[in-house]
Amino acid sequence: MIERDDHDLRKSFAALRREDAAGTPPFPATVATARAREAAAPGHRALRLAAVLVAVAAVVVVSTWRERNGVRLEIDLATVRWHAPTDFLLKLPGDELLRSVPQLGPRGLDRRTL
Amino acid sequence: MSPADLTAELEQLHAAALGWALSCCGWDRSAAEDVLQTCYLKLLDGRARFDGRSSLRTFVFGVIVRTAREVRRRAALRRWIPLASLLLGPEAVDGRPDPATALVGADETARLVRALGRLSARQRQVLHLVFYEDLTIAEAAVVAGVSLGTARTHYERGKAALRKLLGEERE
Repeated sequence: MIERDDHDLRKSFAALRREDAAGTPPFPATVATARAREAAAPGHRALRLAAVLVAVAAVVVVSTWRERNGVRLEIDLATVRWHAPTDFLLKLPGDELLRSVPQLGPRGLDRRTL
Repeated sequence: MSPADLTAELEQLHAAALGWALSCCGWDRSAAEDVLQTCYLKLLDGRARFDGRSSLRTFVFGVIVRTAREVRRRAALRRWIPLASLLLGPEAVDGRPDPATALVGADETARLVRALGRLSARQRQVLHLVFYEDLTIAEAAVVAGVSLGTARTHYERGKAALRKLLGEERE
């Protein structure tokens, strides 16, 4: 994929690669260092696990305590209800008739009109 | 692939992998070795499993990119939350000289590293993979996690920008 006129860049990168390769630690040493680092820090995994367990325990304790003491989060919807200034435009004349159920049956009928 | 085969393959890729890790870590040798060590553990312990969908080289390079990103994220977290260092483990420390110091003697390569540092991350990645690692643009696209068209654009623009920067450096 490298074009012919990229020779200059190829040369520069090759020089960089040679320099990097000169300071490359051997593969077995790299793996050994990685293993040693991992072995030297076994406590960190345990510490992480302990932190998660403590957090979960704290959440459980707090929620249980709140439930026992009847502490509940109450939201007063009336205080958070917002009224738009143009709400009055939505009011139709006589809309109370639309929102109420008409009474049917003997109580609703006026015999005098029958 | 058996663990012995994987180890042998990784050993063959080792120099190229370190070069790629160096590029991902801005030529910070200590960070690059830390990334490579973590990456090898992931591969050898089976936390990153090669399923043969790409070449092993491309796969390993992809793991290195992701690991470098994780290490950067952890370093940023450590800077912001000192307590996090207790949970995230110790930072890699080694006594090797800084790459900038090591490259002082080699003017041409130092110029190249400086110029690469001024390119966008994507352009730097694609150019490194193509010129340093001898990957095709399609393979570089897989490693960088971009489409072939995007990789081609980064390659062309990156080359032009790199030539300009190297010219400026020479003046």
